[in-house]
Amino acid sequence: MFGWTGTILRVDLTERTFRKETFGEEFAHKWVGGRGFALKTLWDELEPGVDPLGPKNKFIVALGPIAGIPAPNTGKTVVAAKSPLTGGYGDGNLGTQVTEQLRKAGYDMLIVEGAASEPTLLYIEDDKVEFLPAAEVWGKGTYATNDWIYARYGRKVGVLNIGQGGENLNLYSTVRSLEGRSGGRPGMGAVMGSKKLKAIVVKGSKPIPQADPKTMKKLGAADLRTVHEMDKKSGWSKQSTTGILAWCNEVAALPVRNMRKTRHSDAWKIDGERLDAARVATYGCPTCTMHCGIAVHDREGRESELDYENIGMLGSNLEVFELDQVGSLNYLCDDYGLDTISAGGVLGFYADAIDRGHIAGDFRFGDGEGAKELLRLAALREGDLGNLLADGTMRMARKIGRGSEAYAMHVKGLEVSAYNCKLCPGMALSFGTSPIGAHHKEAWVITFELNQTVRDSYGRDKAQKVIELQRIRGGLFEYIIACRFPWVELGWQLEHYPIYFNTITGLNWTLDDFWKVGDRIYSLMKFFWLREMPDWNRKMDYPPMVWFDPANADADGPIAGKILDLEKYDGLLDHYYDLRGWDKRGIPTRKTAAALDLEDEARQAEAFGRLED
Amino acid sequence: MKVTVKMIGSFVYATGFSERIFDLAPGTTTDELLEIVEIEKSRPMIVARNGQAVVQGEKLEDGDRVVIAPIFSGGQAAGPH
Repeated sequence: MFGWTGTILRVDLTERTFRKETFGEEFAHKWVGGRGFALKTLWDELEPGVDPLGPKNKFIVALGPIAGIPAPNTGKTVVAAKSPLTGGYGDGNLGTQVTEQLRKAGYDMLIVEGAASEPTLLYIEDDKVEFLPAAEVWGKGTYATNDWIYARYGRKVGVLNIGQGGENLNLYSTVRSLEGRSGGRPGMGAVMGSKKLKAIVVKGSKPIPQADPKTMKKLGAADLRTVHEMDKKSGWSKQSTTGILAWCNEVAALPVRNMRKTRHSDAWKIDGERLDAARVATYGCPTCTMHCGIAVHDREGRESELDYENIGMLGSNLEVFELDQVGSLNYLCDDYGLDTISAGGVLGFYADAIDRGHIAGDFRFGDGEGAKELLRLAALREGDLGNLLADGTMRMARKIGRGSEAYAMHVKGLEVSAYNCKLCPGMALSFGTSPIGAHHKEAWVITFELNQTVRDSYGRDKAQKVIELQRIRGGLFEYIIACRFPWVELGWQLEHYPIYFNTITGLNWTLDDFWKVGDRIYSLMKFFWLREMPDWNRKMDYPPMVWFDPANADADGPIAGKILDLEKYDGLLDHYYDLRGWDKRGIPTRKTAAALDLEDEARQAEAFGRLED
Repeated sequence: MKVTVKMIGSFVYATGFSERIFDLAPGTTTDELLEIVEIEKSRPMIVARNGQAVVQGEKLEDGDRVVIAPIFSGGQAAGPH
């Protein structure tokens, strides 16, 4: 078998033991890697209803066949576990040297079980695994932890670590790497923290098994150059992802004031032009030639690496329109190891609840200094307020009550990313049907929707497009694994990926083969939800209710007086379910399961809820 | 007639301006505007007029705000299998 090492490293933190396990072609071809490997492993090995923050949950680091190969943007790693934020399957990806190093150490997946009794650093070097004390950096942020690791092991090792957010079980804490990279929005940092696992350090020296390494080396080098040239020609890296901020503001899709508003006259102060002008450095992931991380000096003079999502959620969504102050909030999130999108959503929801008189407090929109203190409380779980903020908007709304659930901007517990969908039904469907909760990484349909369809329409074409994008973004890129940016931002053709995959594995797959794997993964994620939540219903695939509230419609601008229609959204959801072969609840039918080779999983799922034929 | 044109992302650098008011002949279309601001028509883009996507050849009116953005939507759509 080429393309996979065929080896899994299983580590037990409770017993301080490890062992290697092998897998064969059937598993490799059916689940491919990354999200596919992680999901199938968690499905097979987790007890239903397991405490996500208990020792029986498993923390997984999963790689795919092209991960770590020198080719466009293959430096990504998937981290996964049952999510403490949503209760379903949770994962995320991040650029890290772990990708290459773990594969060179000889593994396609790391499964971490149990929990350590004291803060631990897991050190992996080829066949060697060590459980080392990390008390010295327990309580420290990710930057100091990273420095401490680099001082001991050099800068070439792969590092995953957590900050105080993960240690204190903040439910939207992330896993961090390379000082500027984060992944695992649905609380993957908290899962590491619950296991007292402060960091994972990986070093490898073996070749990654490939069917035709010479061809791949030549092809990868040429394509890296081409992507770089495409980037230079297009000028994309001048603003990277932040070019979208000004556009969202123009078309009334910007998150402002906990998404109560879609535009703001001060948005220009934090847009891509201002970011480019304030740039002090540019960063990227390994094997990337179109770097997206634009660093600015924050208000305290520290380097803070910004992109659209964190400016949107920590900036406009909080009505903080000073770029250096947004930089400070982002820096704190990165250092504490908190997800910037969810953190912005949580603080926005808190300010909104105060504004509406549903909870007492003195935090207001626009209060950047206040936001810094709230991030500290949330990361440390300090006091009642810290605990409230650390649990995310879904749980906050349950505690606050008074109808606040309607404006708690989340789906399935995961906070909505930085697109305000008051009149973007397709993007609302994308958020609603995202299997890990509201995340733009699954299907970013908003530009298609606003440019190539009638914006205020709910036709089957939009459902079809969401599924197409989910197959690419939530599917292909999450399991082979690679970054989607060359494709989504520069127009790098998808056909390149089967070529890489086939050159590495010696197989002869087409894009259709990949779509089937993606559909299999999405269907199993739905079975995972059914198993964890037998009373699952289609409302779990609804976006926040405030997007359907006529009282929340914009008073002026491009979408004045308009808002999403719940009855029509239900129709759009029906289209989506029908195209996927799922029933009216959004659960795969037996027929669909059979077509996707999920008969065994379907039988297991039937123990928790009825499946339709 | 006066039309405000706002450039997004990399088009700011391609055209040399971020936002500018143009004095245009009545009846000027969005396609003609693209020639005036010197953006290659072959470049994938999204053009919005007063916050709404335009149809090809749409006529502009006095006071319009036109936003021109490089497309951010991927290399190729996947067909259903």
